[in-house]
Amino acid sequence: MEAADSMKIAVILIVLLPLVGFITTLLFGKRMGGKAHIVPVALVTVTAALAVYAFGWVFQHQEEPFVWDAFSWIVAGRYHASWGFQVDTLTGIMLLVVGIIGMLTHYYSIGYMRGDGGYYRFFAYLNLFMFAMYMLILADNFLLLFLGWEGVGLCSYLLIGFWFDRKSASQAGKKAFLVNRVGDFGFTLGMFLVLVTTGTLQFAGVFDKAETIGAGTLLWICLLLFTGAVGKSAQFPLHVWLPDAMEGPTPVSALIHAATMVNAGVYMVARAYPLFAQSETAMLVVMVVGTFTAIFAACIAITQNDIKKVIAYSTISSLGFMFMALGAGAWVAGIFYLFVHGFFKGLLFLCSGSVIHAMGGEQDMRKMGGLRTRIPVTFWTMLIAAVALVGIFPLSGFWAKDEILGGAFAHGYYVVWLVGIVTAFLTAVFAFRMMFMTFWGESRADAEVQAHIHESPKVMTVPLVLLAIPAAAVGAVVGWPPEAGWIHRFLDPVFFAVEHEEFEWLGTGGALMAVSLAVALLGVYLAYVLYLRRRELPERLAARVPWAYEASLRKMYMDDIYEVVPVRSTIAFSRFLWTGFDVHVIDGAVNGIARLWGWFGDRLRPLQTGRVHNYAFGILAGALALVVIVGWVWGI
Amino acid sequence: MSPLDWWLLLAMLLFCIGAFGVLARRNTIVVIMSLELMLNAVNIALVAIAQFRAGSQGAGVLFSLFVITLAAAEVTVGLGIVIANYRAKRTVENDHFDEMKG
Amino acid sequence: MPGGDFHPFFFVVIAAWILVCGLGVVLFRNIIYSAVSMVFCFLGVAFAYALLNAELVAIVQILIYVGATSVVILFAIMLTEVQQSYGQLFHRQAIFAAPLAVAAAVVMTVMVVSTELADVGDTSLNLSVHALSSLLFNRYVFPFELVSLVLLAAMIGAIVLARRQGEKR
Repeated sequence: MEAADSMKIAVILIVLLPLVGFITTLLFGKRMGGKAHIVPVALVTVTAALAVYAFGWVFQHQEEPFVWDAFSWIVAGRYHASWGFQVDTLTGIMLLVVGIIGMLTHYYSIGYMRGDGGYYRFFAYLNLFMFAMYMLILADNFLLLFLGWEGVGLCSYLLIGFWFDRKSASQAGKKAFLVNRVGDFGFTLGMFLVLVTTGTLQFAGVFDKAETIGAGTLLWICLLLFTGAVGKSAQFPLHVWLPDAMEGPTPVSALIHAATMVNAGVYMVARAYPLFAQSETAMLVVMVVGTFTAIFAACIAITQNDIKKVIAYSTISSLGFMFMALGAGAWVAGIFYLFVHGFFKGLLFLCSGSVIHAMGGEQDMRKMGGLRTRIPVTFWTMLIAAVALVGIFPLSGFWAKDEILGGAFAHGYYVVWLVGIVTAFLTAVFAFRMMFMTFWGESRADAEVQAHIHESPKVMTVPLVLLAIPAAAVGAVVGWPPEAGWIHRFLDPVFFAVEHEEFEWLGTGGALMAVSLAVALLGVYLAYVLYLRRRELPERLAARVPWAYEASLRKMYMDDIYEVVPVRSTIAFSRFLWTGFDVHVIDGAVNGIARLWGWFGDRLRPLQTGRVHNYAFGILAGALALVVIVGWVWGI
Repeated sequence: MSPLDWWLLLAMLLFCIGAFGVLARRNTIVVIMSLELMLNAVNIALVAIAQFRAGSQGAGVLFSLFVITLAAAEVTVGLGIVIANYRAKRTVENDHFDEMKG
Repeated sequence: MPGGDFHPFFFVVIAAWILVCGLGVVLFRNIIYSAVSMVFCFLGVAFAYALLNAELVAIVQILIYVGATSVVILFAIMLTEVQQSYGQLFHRQAIFAAPLAVAAAVVMTVMVVSTELADVGDTSLNLSVHALSSLLFNRYVFPFELVSLVLLAAMIGAIVLARRQGEKR
């Protein structure tokens, strides 16, 4: 058990170190000024090493997960909640993603945030985020997971609104928080239902009883939990907060809104695999929502001009892909995609940050172009990320995406497969539209900006290069050969009932792979034609179908719909409650009662004349009346 | 009509005359004098009942003595108030004293 | 008619005297007349006590009311320098006060007449001063002491009230 003891220390440190970093940075960071990053970055580096160590431990003990009930938290009647930690293979994968990308993002931020007024604050929040995220993935019960879940939500809010003096940033932070409340409400209800049904929130305890839960209850539990995932992982219709979240600093977008936090929903659904696997309807809902979100977001991404918005919608689309995989029963493929997506999407964001850095804060791609030779490191790493995203052999995205599509096809969801292929095609188009508009062609920037274009400092480019390696290779390393790679065996203990398909190179599998590769290449070629060779074509195309172009540009009017339906109606209703109900009914009642007694008082006031003889008259008359009444009652 | 009834009727009539004076007169000094009439009426009743009811003589007479004493105290304080008011307002007519009007 | 050891005629004379003087107190316009009328009324009441065989009360009545109270009231009249009531003698309230007084009289008459009180009457009693004093200083000593306190408070109150403003001594 010595290994387990060292694991206990490792797990406790993984959680505590970022918290220590948060507290010290918050307390002393301001005084350290430009050196405020030293403590948090060092601690996160150690944490990442510990995370890798924990992963290594899981690697050696795949069949028996590390479960440790550290100490009691809440004891209330029959309910007992504890700080319990669980490290199984799924947690191991998440630890790798969170640890490595978290660490690299911290290093990158040193360069990106240099000179910002809230330098220390930024690192404090990032460390708090790391704490909450580790808490989320290490928890062994729903309540502790929810603690981390809300913690990352809080950090997301703080970091989106990091530049809070910009109104749009603080608005975006509030929007993210409020939209997530909707999902979290469902999640909380789901937890209540789990507690009421099984009497515990412990993963192991709940999953042991999964088969005994009635079908209807189980469906409700799954749907409510999934509501939380929809909010956190920005699925339709609660996706609206993620594009606005790009108001935050770019490292935040890379770490929180691409690689880690938004995956929490996917992770949670995968974690609740024993529940979801029991309910076909819930699985269907997950798949439909995921599939729809995937193509929906891709359609919007294709016309966006803000470089970060493009990647944001691409992230929503990718998350939709993951849910599509989970819902279709391709659980391993979903987590596989989550794994590689974290690397290449994080990289993509960091690269876009480098581009924005080079352009002096400009985010509009229409004012970029020709950056290929000016910032070569950024260009090459971003190209790797884009190719990985599009899914071209042999980079990471190819293996994971192909596995999802193959899984959908194999389980008989041909429509889903078709939508997935179209989404992959659109992904190729918008990803390379972004690449071509940014890096090729002649520069469309102002002369003043032109003069200042420069490659980012080493502290930013080195993390890019380091992240480019897994973004390129990790897919082939863990996912080869298809359907029988290392990751499949590794995740078997978690998804215990999943059967792996036979993959035939010269059969269905190979054919699907070829189709998806061909579609991706076709998309890249289309983007090449439209945005490099014949640049007038997109405008003519947009003019041909203005309604479609407009809809895509306006984000399918989702924000407008939200504006009209819930926001306006709530405001109108509140206004009615204020001016109608509160002012007239509530205040009216209160003031009316006061006025009634005031009126009575005014009527009675003349009685108090201040003249003694009037009072004396009252005394005598009263006494006489009393005598008469008493005499009358007694019958004299 | 027993002898006691006649005494009580006398006391009652004197009480009513005094009460009318208290309620109707404007001059505060006359009001106080009327008040004395009422107290005297009560005293007559007390003494009469004491004399005509066996077993209560001592109490009735002594209570009339207490009433007389308290009436003397009341007159002193009442007239003190009248004089203080007169200094302030140059009048003893009690319908001018309405500072406590609500 | 009140019987006992005196002729009913005396009662009638005394009663008429008391009531007429009482009406004089209430009805005289000149306040001095009212005061004098009150003194005579008090004297009448003292005679009434004598008729009721309550000599001590009669003597105290003459001492305190006729002697002290009347003098205090006359002093007050002099101090206020208002010998005559100018303008209205009565409040407007008088038109209600007169019926109220009459009503009170009627009600009390009904009460007196309808109540059987005299059956246990004994008019020949004569309590000696000695007996009264022993009652006062034994059974009623506590009220007696309380009355002395009230008199003290009234004395201080009267001095404070009647003292001129600014006389701080």
